[in-house]
Amino acid sequence: MAISNMEQLVGVNDKRMDFRVVGQRNLPGKVSYALATGVAKFGIDYTFPNMLFGKFLRSPYANAYVKIKDISKALAIPGVVDVVVWDDPDIVKLGGGGFGPSRPWLDDYADAEGAEVGAIVVAENEDICDLGLKALELEWTVLPHIVDVEKAHANNATMPTIRPSTMNFGGGMFDAAPAKPKENNVSFADTIQGDVDAEFAVTKPENIIEYRLQLPTFASHIPNPPSSVAYWFDDPYHPSSKSLRVEGAVQRRDSVGSMYGVSNEMTVQEGIFQGGKYCDWGMRRSQEIAPLLAKRTDRPVRVADEREDTFGFLMNERFLYLKIAHTDEGLITAIDDFSIADGGMQGNSSFGTANDQGYGPYYTFKCLNIRQHMETVDSNRGKMFLSGQHCPFNWDSGTMAIYLIAEKLGKDPIDIMRLNLHGPTSQEDPNPVLSFEEISKAGKEMMDWDWHATGARTLPDGRKHGAAVRYQMCPRHAFSGYNCKLELRGGKVHLPTQGPVTGIYAVECNAMVVAEELGLEYDDIIVDFDWRERFTPVGGGSDGSTASSWAMKECANILKEKILEATINQLKNPPAPSMFGGFGGFGGPPQPDPFEGVTSADELDLANGMVVLKSDPTKGKPLARAVSANIFATFEGRPPAAIWSLGMGKMLDTMNMVFTEVAVDEDTGEVEILRFGVAIDPGKVLRMTSLESQCDQVMYFSQVCQTLSEYVYDERTGVQLTNNMIDYRWVTPLDAAPVDHAIVESRSGNAAYGASGISHSMANTHLVIIAIHNAIGVWVDPPATPNKILAAMGKA
Amino acid sequence: MYSQQSTQQAATELITAAPELLREFRCPICGEVFGTYEQLQDHYAASHEGAVTPVTVSLLINGKRTQVLIEPHWTLQRTLQFRLGLTGAKHMCDKGVCGSCTVIVDGRAVLACMTLTVEVEGKDIETVEGIAANPAWKPLIDAYCRWDAMQCGYCTPGFLVSAKSLLDHNPNPTEQECKEALAGNICICGTYPRHSQAILEAVYNIANPPPPPAPPMGFGGPGGPGGFGGPGGPPPQVP
Repeated sequence: MAISNMEQLVGVNDKRMDFRVVGQRNLPGKVSYALATGVAKFGIDYTFPNMLFGKFLRSPYANAYVKIKDISKALAIPGVVDVVVWDDPDIVKLGGGGFGPSRPWLDDYADAEGAEVGAIVVAENEDICDLGLKALELEWTVLPHIVDVEKAHANNATMPTIRPSTMNFGGGMFDAAPAKPKENNVSFADTIQGDVDAEFAVTKPENIIEYRLQLPTFASHIPNPPSSVAYWFDDPYHPSSKSLRVEGAVQRRDSVGSMYGVSNEMTVQEGIFQGGKYCDWGMRRSQEIAPLLAKRTDRPVRVADEREDTFGFLMNERFLYLKIAHTDEGLITAIDDFSIADGGMQGNSSFGTANDQGYGPYYTFKCLNIRQHMETVDSNRGKMFLSGQHCPFNWDSGTMAIYLIAEKLGKDPIDIMRLNLHGPTSQEDPNPVLSFEEISKAGKEMMDWDWHATGARTLPDGRKHGAAVRYQMCPRHAFSGYNCKLELRGGKVHLPTQGPVTGIYAVECNAMVVAEELGLEYDDIIVDFDWRERFTPVGGGSDGSTASSWAMKECANILKEKILEATINQLKNPPAPSMFGGFGGFGGPPQPDPFEGVTSADELDLANGMVVLKSDPTKGKPLARAVSANIFATFEGRPPAAIWSLGMGKMLDTMNMVFTEVAVDEDTGEVEILRFGVAIDPGKVLRMTSLESQCDQVMYFSQVCQTLSEYVYDERTGVQLTNNMIDYRWVTPLDAAPVDHAIVESRSGNAAYGASGISHSMANTHLVIIAIHNAIGVWVDPPATPNKILAAMGKA
Repeated sequence: MYSQQSTQQAATELITAAPELLREFRCPICGEVFGTYEQLQDHYAASHEGAVTPVTVSLLINGKRTQVLIEPHWTLQRTLQFRLGLTGAKHMCDKGVCGSCTVIVDGRAVLACMTLTVEVEGKDIETVEGIAANPAWKPLIDAYCRWDAMQCGYCTPGFLVSAKSLLDHNPNPTEQECKEALAGNICICGTYPRHSQAILEAVYNIANPPPPPAPPMGFGGPGGPGGFGGPGGPPPQVP
């Protein structure tokens, strides 16, 4: 389904209506054969002759200092080649980083159980590394730890401060309240709009709702454990010093090189496969240290994380306490949002959490009185490798408000959504959002939507039926610029890129757009992966596919112009005859030139792999014959900023809506997700198959965090108990819920052809939780396990 | 660029690169290299008293006999990666949960991270590289690529091996049987529905192979050998 909203599109061919290549499904990815066959090598797959292995000392305590008293016994173990301690000058030279006052790259302090601390052992194999680590003579000073965030918040006044130097990311970030100094382990962030207290004062008591949500910690759980291997070598092109080969750093080759003072040209990384690093771009220490260990030992060194070391956060824990005022009709008039958030190690979650508060969960509402007060607790729970709370996972506080009002007033939540949704341009805009209207219509059709009150429907098998719905914007971050290059060579168009390949099919979208613009087929676009190239399709949110494709579309049109000009040049100055070209090839007399009399590139076009006459597209020459010269086109830039980012979420273009239906067994507490439904408007579909898979992926995320798995800590020791794939379960092909799709194209995004993409904006923490409430009328915190449900029903 | 042909070739080269017989024996403790296994044993007796001596194991991998020097506790996944350069069996959960290291041993899908190398001496081991190198399985690999039965791709070889093992035993599975056969494989990227679609398309294309591509025009005219490489055959039809 396509709806027209293209007035704002910019760039070349913005209003194209007919697509031959873009939007197709079942076109194999440019690296798919390598991935399917195991030929693709990820960082952890690399081995080199004569390679050594490195392993970090990891803390058994959640909060502790370590004193390295003696390394001689470790060094004496046969096969141990090097032991590097944290205050070694080589380590100190690596500098620091992270949030707040700089800490050394490695020191004697461990923020969490399992954190790298104090020393690294390098040996002939990993088993000997383990022996070396055990042989280190250590003295631990164990400090109090915080793994229960709510409790630590309640007792903040009496708690020892676990990290006094952590920066406060509080007020002032978004024209908010004045900064309030950090107190012990708690920092503060406020975002305030309007006058919340005044609105509550004039609201009827029966129109005030209060509720609490626990947003669960969620594992990032990247499939491939981070790993690097590095060595130094002599490159005759750069004789002044050693060059660095590093595999496994992938997107951050440049930053690893710069850590060691090596230019980008001298930092070689041939691998392009990064694995499932969805919004997780943080480098692990294992990926940064291999070059130093290789330099010290003059041999290749590999450092890999164990599976247990890779359960970093995708989303940190947060407790929200909401109070909302609404009218008799269900229009929200005031929101008071108080939350307690986990700051994680070094407060590294704080920045993102406060930042995401700015892109608030309530800014699609007409409501002008919003107060968000977040108190962020430094903890020893672990480290996040992406931005804080990570919207839109945290947007279900708004979803819950809609549901509670609908439930109270006996109305369909979609009607409450429509009542509260502001128009496209601002919170005061009364006009409907075209995208919302279309997705809600498509979604209701897909789901046979028939809303019912809590507990009102029983399935034929006796289980209770529940349903829930949620909407959001489709965010494209719009922060990334792209440095594109295309080359016509021998009749084929080459698209050079350094990669990396991250599972989002970005270069495929680029290739499809280039083929579309140049009248070629998808297979005519050759993607050349070369670490020396500058173009990378990686960008925040959906930028990697949609914004990079916008830039590549501009580049393709520059190339097209050059091809047509070169055709004219070749007509005027034919190349010297060659055996295969100048005489029209073997097998016949020279053919009349279809371009005879043509003098201007304006008379020509590209279609079906040919340069053709605009006046008669049946006449033309294959690209390779029309142009024998190599032609390059470059373009540097990005599409206009996404409307979402311009308006901090207060301007709306493309939107999405997700649905679920569940069946709850009141005797056992078992929940079955009968189906998910996603009604999405990505603006314009670039690559259908991967778009659908992205939808499925975020729904599985939602299923896992709401029904299956959670971070569990032993409060006494601070040890994380669910840091492996047995204890932190993922859905399998057998229990993954079915996902139906309804796709709308509003063409109202700002990237290629009006695309915006969907990013991960359907991921949620409470869609299933709300559906369970709709079925049986009880609330549980995620994950909704049978024992929690039975307890909530008073049956446990 | 990666194509079906280039990856088939790459997989074939990986398989053939494995040495039939070891010609050097490297001490895993100190790195010293010896010409015979007996010399290595003597070295252990002299220099690493009490340490467990590595063993040589004869493996039959993807139809090729090869000899490896390993320590007795090494898993098959570790041996494939660090001794044979076969990285299709991926290191992921290391606990027998995720299926990313799946290989076929004597006709049965097993987890290489849970299997000791010494257990499979002399057994018939098939890895994803063996499947990729065998043109008979091109329809399965084609279907996986056409249906995007992968996103980041790290777990995909494990799925493909499980799918091949399924088809070995059940050449005409239902969608539910596909799901059951793949239930031991975990993908974080949301590709599950794609695998059944790919397997079912592969089943159809294996049973109904597309006609060979028409000979391209070129030197020698129609029907002549070679030529300048015309287009391939029509895309396989979706059932």
